Amino acid sequence: MVMGVALGVAVIVAIDLANLSASTAFSISRQALTGRTTHQIVGGSTGIDQAIYRDLRIEKGIRTSAPVIESIAVSPDLDDMPLRILGVDPIAEAPFREYLPAQNAGEPGFEAFFLDPRAVIINQLLASRLGIGPGGSINLQVNERLEVLNVIGVIDSGGERSRQGLDDVLLMDVGSAQQLLGMEGRLTRIDLITTDEEAEELQSWLPVNLQILPASDQEETLEQLTDAFELNLQALSLLALVVGMFLVYNTTMFSVIQRRLVFGIMRTLGATPGQIVTLILVEAGLVAALGSLFGIGLGVMLGRGAVSLVSQTINDFYFVLNVRGVDLAGLTVLKGLGGGMLAAVLASLAPAFEAARVAPVMALQRSSVEAQASRWSARAALAGTALIAVGTVILLVIRQSLIASFAGLFLLLIGLAAWVPAAMVFAMHTVRPLLSALAGPTGRMASGMVIRSLSRTGVAVAALMVSLSVAIGVGIMIASFRSTVVDWLGLTLRADVYISAPVVSGTRPTASLSEGLADTIAAVPGVDAVETVRTVTVLSERGEVLLLAVDAQRQRDAELYRFADGSAELVWERVLDGAVIVSEPFAYRFDIPPEGGEITLITDKGRRTFDVVGIYYDYSAEQGTLLMNQDVYRSYWDDESISSLAVFVSGDRELAPVVDDIRSELGGSGLQVQLNRELREEALVIFDRTFLITSALRVLAIVVAFIGVVSALMALQMERAREFATMRALGLTGSDLWKLIFMETGLMGATAGLLSFPTGVVLAVVLIYVINLRSFGWTINMSLDPWIFLSALAAAITAALIAGIYPGLRLLRLPVAESLSRE
Amino acid sequence: MLSRPTRMVMIAVLLLAAVLSACVAREDVGDAGGSAVALRLAARSGENEFARATEIRSFQFPEDHGPHFDYQTEWWYYTGNLTSDDGQRFGYQFTIFRRALAPGAPPGGGSLSTNQVYFAHIALTDVAEGEHFFEERFSRGAADLAGAQAAPFEAWVEDWRVEAKGPGAEKVQITAATAEFELSLLLEAEKPIVMHGESGLSAKSDEPGNASYYLSFTRMQAGGTLVVGDKTFSVSGPSWFDHEWSTSVLDEGTVGWDWFGLQLDDGRELMLYYIRQADGSIGPISGGTYIAADGEARSLTSSEIQITAVSTWYSDESGAEYPSGWQISLPSLDMNLTIEPWIDAQEMRVSFTYWEGAVRITGEEGGTALSGSGYVELTGYLESMEGVLS
Repeated sequence: MVMGVALGVAVIVAIDLANLSASTAFSISRQALTGRTTHQIVGGSTGIDQAIYRDLRIEKGIRTSAPVIESIAVSPDLDDMPLRILGVDPIAEAPFREYLPAQNAGEPGFEAFFLDPRAVIINQLLASRLGIGPGGSINLQVNERLEVLNVIGVIDSGGERSRQGLDDVLLMDVGSAQQLLGMEGRLTRIDLITTDEEAEELQSWLPVNLQILPASDQEETLEQLTDAFELNLQALSLLALVVGMFLVYNTTMFSVIQRRLVFGIMRTLGATPGQIVTLILVEAGLVAALGSLFGIGLGVMLGRGAVSLVSQTINDFYFVLNVRGVDLAGLTVLKGLGGGMLAAVLASLAPAFEAARVAPVMALQRSSVEAQASRWSARAALAGTALIAVGTVILLVIRQSLIASFAGLFLLLIGLAAWVPAAMVFAMHTVRPLLSALAGPTGRMASGMVIRSLSRTGVAVAALMVSLSVAIGVGIMIASFRSTVVDWLGLTLRADVYISAPVVSGTRPTASLSEGLADTIAAVPGVDAVETVRTVTVLSERGEVLLLAVDAQRQRDAELYRFADGSAELVWERVLDGAVIVSEPFAYRFDIPPEGGEITLITDKGRRTFDVVGIYYDYSAEQGTLLMNQDVYRSYWDDESISSLAVFVSGDRELAPVVDDIRSELGGSGLQVQLNRELREEALVIFDRTFLITSALRVLAIVVAFIGVVSALMALQMERAREFATMRALGLTGSDLWKLIFMETGLMGATAGLLSFPTGVVLAVVLIYVINLRSFGWTINMSLDPWIFLSALAAAITAALIAGIYPGLRLLRLPVAESLSRE
Repeated sequence: MLSRPTRMVMIAVLLLAAVLSACVAREDVGDAGGSAVALRLAARSGENEFARATEIRSFQFPEDHGPHFDYQTEWWYYTGNLTSDDGQRFGYQFTIFRRALAPGAPPGGGSLSTNQVYFAHIALTDVAEGEHFFEERFSRGAADLAGAQAAPFEAWVEDWRVEAKGPGAEKVQITAATAEFELSLLLEAEKPIVMHGESGLSAKSDEPGNASYYLSFTRMQAGGTLVVGDKTFSVSGPSWFDHEWSTSVLDEGTVGWDWFGLQLDDGRELMLYYIRQADGSIGPISGGTYIAADGEARSLTSSEIQITAVSTWYSDESGAEYPSGWQISLPSLDMNLTIEPWIDAQEMRVSFTYWEGAVRITGEEGGTALSGSGYVELTGYLESMEGVLS
């Protein structure tokens, strides 16, 4: 019981820790970067004209304004760790952010911050990771160039939080940052400290392509992106606790049945049923508290692993986040403790009432509970049916809330679990003739015993079934998702070679490469066509969107479209003509209908509404992407740069020499040249990494069940020592005993395994078509891998058989006479 | 000869305080701590690469009204006494400072990169109300946020601006506003440009090169409007303009400076100043310039000047105690003057605390009564400037 609670709590604590650490890192990082900024002026594909900033200060007299250049670049010195270039004007900064302590500003050579266009200031944490100090240098991949930055100062100021927030920041003068990034005359954003009213007034003064947004908006948008992801993890961790609840129930029930005599005596001595209920609940609570504390400790250990997995996924799919510290928050502890205790008390309610119902005289009748088993199993099935119905209704009706969907899923799962005892009675009756034929009376006895001790075996089997079906359901979901992605990669990655600046793994390349690069590559002998892509974040009426402006050389495959307004050819024609197509998550996020959809973007020429003529499958960006013809893009945005190149090699040429030529053409630029195959493999590596934590949780659920089943069955067998002794006295041999025990446990394991098949499929269906769709908006084609089912069954039977070993050994060693005389 | 080292050092202090305050949390910026740090940097800012004022140069106008990027420090300094139509008295200060981080013109290329930092101090003294408003502003010299140019002459920090309204700098428009007041003045020089010291080369110590180029329009007639709170005044009166540039450090042991720009009602002006030493004595490099009504200028040596402070004023805000009234005796001119601040509280509590205020003049010259107005600058009263110089 302690273990059951502990494991469940451990998983909850670990996931909570991971989520919390990620969001803390996020807010620390944003806080360090935004400081006291209340509003930000953003927009423009290539940033904001710095003349806007000048006019803002001089004509509008907005003095609390600061120019900012912010960009991400990777450093080869740190294993391609993403670093954040933050270009600021130290003179305008004071009201916004806190960076330098006085003693550092006074260090000799601080004017180099203004004068040296490659000067950076970093904080102590980053410096020690790089192993450098003032005077050191950092290599940085900036667009197609490898740059060397000079560390002119190391700051070590502020509290722990601001330190952490700055430990991936390369602080530069705004002018130097402009030059480094090729953004002369432009700014990433202008930070303001102002009121909402003033901001509103400013909006009307700003050019049409710029927007003034509350700084918190930016943060919220980013945070919302990961909400679904984090909620999914939380739900999975809750599942572990649910499995744990079964164990608690099992153990409590067991202890109640064992102490029936005690309770009977207590009742005769005048204890009220209420007192007995309280006694058992307090007992369960105390044990649960112990288990929870243990679980919290375990969770913190697990949490370290989970943190890196979670932050990796966030980096892969959402935004750059460097999570370092794992802080155990009081809330997490409370959650773990509360969750564990609550689960234990809830799970103990039924056994407690069971104990309280015991009439003094009946206490001696051990089998009284079991006598009710059949009725009990029918009632449970009935309740289960109700739960299934409610769960299904919730899943079908409340479509908007992810939390409700998970609640529905849980109800469904518990409802299905409630059917287990009834299913067992049915199964045992079914197999009895078969076992009888195979193993004679022992076989008959085995199936009979399973039914007779249904109050315990039923719950143990249900627990095993639930965790196995979770394993199956999650397994099917992951496998289906993976095969869908593999198919999609085959469809979407059609070029032979891809060229981009190194990016933070998994994110889209958004660096700005020079346009001439395409011509250079096109001139390489053997290159058939070069498709250029500009990946850029632009503003829409409903927030930032990721836009792909494609200089399409090849039209998109018909199979890539989930919805197409007309044939693939027609859609492509319309895209060339100025319409756009959007990815499935994009359509989901912005509620774009399959037909007749529109999206209004804030272009450099003002607001423009584009027809959405198709929705395509895309699993690369959770926030969704919008695809536009490059010519159309350039007519609305003043941005000629490109982000990546897709190179098609002539069919009659061998790939390797052409790739070598391309590589030598790009020599020294630091650009990545990736073969189709490599890119595909990388995508799958990221995929597998993303689901690593899910898989880990899945394994944990099985472990919880495994331990639970083993302990429950062991207890069950031990309790029957006298029974076995009687049988042995009547002539049951040692091997007969082994057979009996293994048959019993094996039957239970097999039942759990078989029952988990349909439940697992139901779970998978809900995960794929409800939870995933509502969380991310991805279409996943469900595929059933028989291996998943077989391994689940094998796991179930193995667990059950292992559970039989120890009791078997113990029982064999017990002298028959002693066992009998104990009573 | 001598000039106003006061401002020279202030520049260094202020500029570095600017950089400093920009990089430090606002609440952490204490005057004392901030300046002390800034000063350490001041002494090290690659002065060797800058040109130095070592020899007499022939000034070219309008070019020399503009910035001199080979020199580290430069300012355009306007002060004046104003009287409204209904007789209400005001004083104002409008100063644009330029501080180079490296010699040479700022880089082009369209980025915000620069080697120039500009800052400005403006102040208004409302004599009738006993009010003194002041504000300081910094900006990088890039993207037209701040800058200076010769033709047409213009110097600005954001929307605080002085710009020529004719050839050269003889006629200029000053525009500046703070939350408390707005200044819009047209200034016109009534006398030719004055070159202080030796043909404009103004030595600051016995060491060659510790000098500045120092030019003035000692009498500019100002007229325009002044808005204080919700009241608008039509004002006029005499103003004083200094343009000075250098790359310079001063001697050790100097605590601060007192500077006087005095405009007599009979059309003559006096520029006087002296260096205060750590031991309480007046430094040997003190002196001034006498400008006759016809514009003829003559240098005055320290032996020709006797200045005695007659009272003091204690600033509750900063804790500094300033002299607040002087007896000035100029035996060679047979002149005795009494200088009194229009109001005591004219302290500039900006990056570096100093006192700069409008004063009135009474006195006599060989028995004939004299009157006038002017501006006085007092530095180094809150803390010793010694650290700056080491």
